[in-house]
Amino acid sequence: MSATDWNELDGHEALVSELRANPPVAPDRLRQRVLELAPASRRRAALPRSRRGRALAVVLVAVAIAVGAALVHGFVSSGGSHHGAAAEKSFGTRHALSGANGTTLTPTVPSSDNSALQAAAPAKPKAVYGTQVLAPHEAVVIPKNRLVHADASLQVHVGSHSALTKATNDATQIVSSLGGYAQSVQYQSERNGGGSSFLALRVPVRKAQTAIGRLAQLGTLVAQQVSTQDLQQQLTRQTNGIGTLRRTIAVYEQALKSGTLSPAQRIEIQIKLANAQHGLKLLRKARSGTVASGATADISLTLTTSKSSIVGGGNHSSGRFDRLLDGAAGFLALEGIIVLYALVVLSPLLVLGGLAWAFLRERRRRDERRLLASA
Amino acid sequence: MSAAPSALEAPRGTRTAPFADVVAEHLDAVYRYLVYLTGDRAAAEDLAAETFEKAFRSWRRFDPRRGAPRTWLCRIARSAAVDWFRAEARRQRREQTYALETAEIGESVFAEGLSPRLELALRTLTPAEREVVALRVLLELDGPSAARVLGISSTACSTRLSRALKRLEEAMADVGD
Repeated sequence: MSATDWNELDGHEALVSELRANPPVAPDRLRQRVLELAPASRRRAALPRSRRGRALAVVLVAVAIAVGAALVHGFVSSGGSHHGAAAEKSFGTRHALSGANGTTLTPTVPSSDNSALQAAAPAKPKAVYGTQVLAPHEAVVIPKNRLVHADASLQVHVGSHSALTKATNDATQIVSSLGGYAQSVQYQSERNGGGSSFLALRVPVRKAQTAIGRLAQLGTLVAQQVSTQDLQQQLTRQTNGIGTLRRTIAVYEQALKSGTLSPAQRIEIQIKLANAQHGLKLLRKARSGTVASGATADISLTLTTSKSSIVGGGNHSSGRFDRLLDGAAGFLALEGIIVLYALVVLSPLLVLGGLAWAFLRERRRRDERRLLASA
Repeated sequence: MSAAPSALEAPRGTRTAPFADVVAEHLDAVYRYLVYLTGDRAAAEDLAAETFEKAFRSWRRFDPRRGAPRTWLCRIARSAAVDWFRAEARRQRREQTYALETAEIGESVFAEGLSPRLELALRTLTPAEREVVALRVLLELDGPSAARVLGISSTACSTRLSRALKRLEEAMADVGD
């Protein structure tokens, strides 16, 4: 007991001495009773000692459960059953298909390389209809019994500056060997050894698929877009229009030769004949343009030494690991949002509960004081 | 003394004495405190046993860094005693009697060797006054520890002790007269 404590007892030394000299002593039966109690209630779970320790343990367990659930979610969502969908998502495969007449197909197949895309679509490439994943150079089956126009855009990565030069020359030779030509070639090289070239190529439509396949093999295919437009209906309409105009012109010419027309009617027929002949000329020109458009395919080829535009890189296993991490992170974020939302919603209740607890505790203490003061 | 030693081991990760040693060291103190608080030896015995039973159940959770074992035991004892007082108050209302009043004047309640004047004077104090005397004088707890047991501030504890001792002196003088 400190000096300060003794000061509180000053003036009561005799009383304190008497009290301390005659303390109550616990009887032996009580001592034995207490010691016998211990084995009877010995089986208790080993819990952390303090409330702080228990709270920490609860928080750790909750965090472990949350992280575990997120990892499980990420693992499940990145699993094999989602392989096709994931590949479709990663490689950005799209299909657009309109009616049988005037069909427009617009598949877009960016990919990291041929092998990766083959892994995504191991089956033999077929037509583009539906949700089937496409192989790079057979993305579109260009119909040969109809007149169609084809546009293709390829982006190919090559390893070095020398490979870029060689690939550019090879591309020109490829299209030449297939009966096509290079409409324009833009070649750019940089001091650091990199560079790129842009080629606008034209090949016969019937050789377009072959050309796309061979051009894609000049390096690593980065992105590919192939679109076809059906021109058969347009050609048929133009052909029918030409036939109609021919028949109309023949009628006008026969009328003019008959000599039964009045001067005014003759002038009117002559004007109509001139218009019909002009229309026929325009329609023939348009038909020629349609045929020419359906005869060649436009291919835009980009050869580059830069890897920055490679889509979905890495091998398959690392992609799945990335998806696992992405899924887990997303799930954790969702859990965080839920916890935050719950806190926002529950915080007023927690505050009210805390106030009620403090009020009840204070009232209990007041009751205790009153009880001990009056008993 | 048939307690199994394994059941009476110290809390994990601490150097606190085994529970059996705690019983041996603090049973008298807890009993004294309860005798003074209740003014009833039989009740104090029962409450002391209840106190140590509760203490044993939560012995592994006892953190010696947060207080001495004696302070911890006294808080448990006080909680049990308050419950006992509530029960006694209900019984008193029902039977219009009170345990302390049933004690014979000549019967010693607080200790065998106390003078009759002090014994009677102690009976005139309220339980709240007697408990602060017990904690500070008999158990020799320091001010902060006693205040922690009572759930009040150290200043309030000091004030209560002064008033209790003064009232005790006055009561002894009254009894002497």
